[in-house]
Amino acid sequence: MSHFNWALDGSLVGLYLLVTMVAGIAVRKYVGKVEHFLVAGREMDVYLGIASLAATEFGVVTCMYTAQNGYDKGFAGAVPGIEMALAMFLVGWTGFCVKPLRDAGVMTIPELFEKRYGPRIRWLAGVVIVLGGLLNMGVFLRTGGEFLVLVCGFDLNAPASGAGPVMAWVSTHYLEIAMSVMLLMVAVYTVLGGMLSVLVTDFLQFVVMSLGLILVTVLILINVGWDRLVGAVSSHYGAGGFNPLVHPQMGWGYVLFNAFLNMAAVLTWQTTIARLLAAKDTRTGQRVYTGTSFFFVCRFLIPGIWGIAALAMLSPETVGGNTLYAMPKFLSTFVPMGLMGILIAAMLAADMSTDSSYMLCWGGIIYQDILAPFRKTAWSDQRGLLWNRMIVALIGVFLLFWGLWYPLKGDLWTYLGVTGTIYLASMSTLLIACCYWKRANNWGATGAILVGAVIPVGYLILQQTWQVPGVDAAGKPIMESRVDQLIGPYWSGIAAYVLAGAAMVVGSYLKPRPQAAA
Amino acid sequence: MSSILEHWFWWLMTMACMVWYSTVTVYVTAKGAADIKSMLKRLGDKA
Repeated sequence: MSHFNWALDGSLVGLYLLVTMVAGIAVRKYVGKVEHFLVAGREMDVYLGIASLAATEFGVVTCMYTAQNGYDKGFAGAVPGIEMALAMFLVGWTGFCVKPLRDAGVMTIPELFEKRYGPRIRWLAGVVIVLGGLLNMGVFLRTGGEFLVLVCGFDLNAPASGAGPVMAWVSTHYLEIAMSVMLLMVAVYTVLGGMLSVLVTDFLQFVVMSLGLILVTVLILINVGWDRLVGAVSSHYGAGGFNPLVHPQMGWGYVLFNAFLNMAAVLTWQTTIARLLAAKDTRTGQRVYTGTSFFFVCRFLIPGIWGIAALAMLSPETVGGNTLYAMPKFLSTFVPMGLMGILIAAMLAADMSTDSSYMLCWGGIIYQDILAPFRKTAWSDQRGLLWNRMIVALIGVFLLFWGLWYPLKGDLWTYLGVTGTIYLASMSTLLIACCYWKRANNWGATGAILVGAVIPVGYLILQQTWQVPGVDAAGKPIMESRVDQLIGPYWSGIAAYVLAGAAMVVGSYLKPRPQAAA
Repeated sequence: MSSILEHWFWWLMTMACMVWYSTVTVYVTAKGAADIKSMLKRLGDKA
């Protein structure tokens, strides 16, 4: 029985939603140009940047996969967060790649590529970024909806109940309703206010989200206790629950893949880069990176502890076959009335800030880079804004349908890692070469983009199509992916990064040097 | 106490997260609000 109380908790959630929507819509009057819509007129300062980046990079989806990591892998599941924090700090501190990128004054990474590799590479890079980015965020809305439905105590597979056909339909479509309502709210302020609304609402969402995360974690540390958390990890996973190198499902492959993935994400993940490009100057952008770096440890460890608490407190029968649902099921009965409202407001805040920013960032790439060749003459700001708004709305529709249709296999973090790799492998290679290797050219860039995309896309296709009988965590018979058994996502992911780099080098050397003028 | 000593790394990380979140949230909230105000003022002046 969930502790969610519609009068008390519902009022808290309603108040949060009202304030967010009013704030998000109110700033639309400052949006007069495409530059305002996409990069907030480049007026963002450092603390707003930290709040916005932290809010964007922590969604319900983050909370769910990091909690699943905690449940499935113990404390060792938080290692990707430590790796990302290190990468973020190093890049912010040294300015590696991000300094030349911000100094170039571009609005997207492909714009920078055009200067070095030509317009075709800009277009191709835009396509790959959007493909990887949209597949990646395709599961966000569904995961957010699942969290809300479960934590409020509803059943995802409930039989029809309630008086009348309408209530009976509602009782079997909680997930679809939650997804649609969330999407509608996010779309309204993102479409109207673009990056300005995203920044202002991100700030509010950062405050609410942080409050919820701290309160729930303190409650777990007091009521479940450190000893019981450690004991649960020890009894289920032994030393592997604390050290990824000795965990049977992790090992060097997991650690290395996440090192590549996180460094590439820090350098080229569009929502992260968008904060750098919206910063008022390069130094501010770098300070946002260093100032936010430790947040990425919190991002993995705090929900990871929630997942470990679920491991300690729930029986495997209660959790069922899908460990993704362990944490929300645990919180639904653990968090008391009143705090439940703050938790749900915090998670809604987390989800809305992530969805809005992601919709805007991928929309920006579609407009700036993919549609660029079709704009033969300069478009007016009004026309540009209209197109940007339509693209954001269409991405929202995609999220709704992909979220309902795509059958997720394996753990969520791995899915996100593999889909992200579709563009991270090649874009990070292109960016590093663009900034620091004079010999890099469009042949190498084309090779890196193709190789970087083909490996993860091929992996995803094989994962869905090549299946053999197996059993799930609860012992039920299921179909398992054969490619997961043979290679696994980590080594195929590492191969994508290494071979994309190799393709850049080989392709660049294969292209004949232009003849020097006599 | 023994579980803290035995797994001191994860205990320290957990405590660091709690301290980071508690302090940075308050600081960033105060400074971020000022950032929003000045950002909107600059955009308003440009319009």
